[in-house]
Amino acid sequence: MQTKPLALLTRSPLAGVFVALAVIFTLSALISPYFLTPYNLSVIARGLAFVGLITIAQSMLMVLGELDLSLGVIGGLCGVISGILMVRLGVEPYSAMLLAVLLGATLGLVNGLLVTMLRLHSLVLTIGTAGIFGGANLVLTRGVAITGIPKDVQYLGRGDVLGMPVPFVIMLAALAVATFVMLKTPFGRYMYAIGNNQAGARMLGIKVDKVRLLVFVVAGAIAALAGVLMVARLGTAQPSIGETWVLAPIAASVIGGVATTGGVGSPIGAIFGAGIIAIIENIIVLFGVSPYWQGIVSGAIVVLAISFDAISRRYLRRDA
Amino acid sequence: MTYLETRGLGRDFPGVTALNGVDLSIELGRTHILAGENGAGKSTLVKILTGTDRASRGDILIDGRNPVEDPSLYKNVAYVPQELNLFAQMSVAENLFMPFSRTGHGGLLVNRGALVEEARGYLERFGIEADPRELVANISVSDQQLLQIARACTNADMKVLILDEPTSSLTRVEVDRVFRVIRGLLDRDHAIVFISHKMDEVFSIGDDYTVLRNGEKIESGKIADISEADLIRAMSGRDIAFEEHFRPQVPVSDTIMTVRGLAGQRFQDIDFELRRGEILGFAGLVGAGRSEVMQTIFGFLKAKAGTVTVEGKPWALNDTAASVDGGMLYLSEERKHHGIFPLLSLRENIGISILSLTKGTLGISSGREREAVQKIIDEYGIRTSGMGKRISQLSGGNQQKAIIGRAMATRPRVLIFDEPTKGIDIRTKTEIYRIMKGLAEEGVGVILVSSELDELKKCASRIITMHHGRITGAFDTAETNNETLVGAIFGTEAKADAN
Repeated sequence: MQTKPLALLTRSPLAGVFVALAVIFTLSALISPYFLTPYNLSVIARGLAFVGLITIAQSMLMVLGELDLSLGVIGGLCGVISGILMVRLGVEPYSAMLLAVLLGATLGLVNGLLVTMLRLHSLVLTIGTAGIFGGANLVLTRGVAITGIPKDVQYLGRGDVLGMPVPFVIMLAALAVATFVMLKTPFGRYMYAIGNNQAGARMLGIKVDKVRLLVFVVAGAIAALAGVLMVARLGTAQPSIGETWVLAPIAASVIGGVATTGGVGSPIGAIFGAGIIAIIENIIVLFGVSPYWQGIVSGAIVVLAISFDAISRRYLRRDA
Repeated sequence: MTYLETRGLGRDFPGVTALNGVDLSIELGRTHILAGENGAGKSTLVKILTGTDRASRGDILIDGRNPVEDPSLYKNVAYVPQELNLFAQMSVAENLFMPFSRTGHGGLLVNRGALVEEARGYLERFGIEADPRELVANISVSDQQLLQIARACTNADMKVLILDEPTSSLTRVEVDRVFRVIRGLLDRDHAIVFISHKMDEVFSIGDDYTVLRNGEKIESGKIADISEADLIRAMSGRDIAFEEHFRPQVPVSDTIMTVRGLAGQRFQDIDFELRRGEILGFAGLVGAGRSEVMQTIFGFLKAKAGTVTVEGKPWALNDTAASVDGGMLYLSEERKHHGIFPLLSLRENIGISILSLTKGTLGISSGREREAVQKIIDEYGIRTSGMGKRISQLSGGNQQKAIIGRAMATRPRVLIFDEPTKGIDIRTKTEIYRIMKGLAEEGVGVILVSSELDELKKCASRIITMHHGRITGAFDTAETNNETLVGAIFGTEAKADAN
């Protein structure tokens, strides 16, 4: 059966958010002469890299039907621990970063084990573990940044490769891997199956708890990677890293077509959603909106974006 | 007198005409059978009659007026869906009168006492044994089904009641109770629209009938003027030899599976053998523990005691992944909760079981998957406009065929069907029976759990009966009769002639 390309485009869940991203990008380019300057684009890309990594991790969990509110805090804690390892304990910097990422995986494992073995609700559980991880951060740093991060690892946060910021390229690589795994491998199919119908997945012999556990571990590692890269970018290990990484990735995922109830969407859509939020926040700054108003404006635009999406979806369903 | 009428009703969806030129006339004081196979357009028609969907063409008249112009007319038409749709964590009484404003219990505060008092009358009338203060989650499935019907009747404006497969979880006694309620409503000058695939019910309660096929009205008339064979022919558009039986016709050989002393949630002391070349039937009332036994053997529920041996080797319990790897599959009666992945496409729903065939070095090959899925769609006659369609948009029968096709593709050694034809039309039923028979004859161990004795007698070589979590008998289908089976199902005979 031949489907018209346009019909295919509008029917694909990714198309809607891509069109929205393209429209917002074009509008921004039209209304602000600074928007398309290489400097501004690299600022957007660098900012998007960090929230983007968390968004990839969160969207993977959301496809499973889980939510992890501790991802941002894991990023912050692992970031400062990489700083402590490098600066105070004299660990070789790249090894320190690797250890911090492994710690992130371990914290993800803790979340995952509690969720799968005790059948806890991930959203509620991670409110608790976020408190613990965030508290550990403050105990270790007493709220003071760790300075003196070696210059050579700062390249990972500040440098450019292929004309793009290094963390942005790392984020794109993580996105490519996550997308491949989720859309082309049996493991990815199992993730969608579990998010759709956990009992049904078990009935088919899918090792449901193993899949869920592994995704929590991977999400923890990705969050730690974001934290470590942020330390490299700032040149100091700030205890406040990750504070803004909690809600934006969830909003980005929903805008990008990932349902909070699980089973649908993809990390690519979620990254498009994160892109929309990043551009909006950038435009607000370029227009010199008072910082007091920025929260209202960006919040309102998120509400508009998901309302528009819900309305258009209902309209499409009526026809289908 | 005609109360609800449609003339030339049509409904188009992109690429499909779901209804075309449907004339329907529902009279007060009579039961109107709406007959048709899965996907014939019954659900679309019901949606238009109840105002949840709009017709693309044609007219609908309620009490001689057009409800599209006056939507308040839709209040006169109540609908009880096939699937349970209650508020599980609220009381029976609250469920009965929700929304409160509609049933005269509105106002600022809910008067629980008044709700409970008024509920008692309804519960008695409908033969529901539950306490009105009990949570719906704690009452039996059959009481829940009756409660759904009772709830529709609390609507004071209701004149037409549409019942969609209202008896699927009910025993004979409870079905009679529903029929008494229906007759009571007819006496009060209501009209009933009754949708069912069970021919005995259709002929015992029906007055008029309308047959739909592929979205069109095929014929209508009085039930008294049509034979069962003619009605089935009208629905399916062909002759179906419904007297034919589907018992495997090969000699029974070695034992495939042995179950000894199995105990678990709500059952104990389960011993039986499954032999190559037979279909082993499990009969019993809803709640007798048959599904629990099967889900425990499969590893979905926890076993408390006992052993299972398959082809001489001990079987790992409590592990569905090991069961599937070892070649055992369980097809649940709860398609929606245990079978399909509703938001995924037909292709992904089938593809999930054949990943070992479609997986390459570069991940799952779309080409190979499409080819393998298309083969299953063709082989099992799954009717769909494309494999990219969400499985939840297919009819129940086609979903069931997809689930069976997906299970077959894994080449199982033991297959357990739990109520495989629930809510499925006669033609598809026959197709499923044929598949089961073919499997058994190929040497796959087949177990059939069913609440319909007719179905068991048609398909099973042997029938094991269960009552209250225990096996009450094992019978050769060819050498037993209904009275013996029913006796064992109700637990009146402790032990009947074994094997």
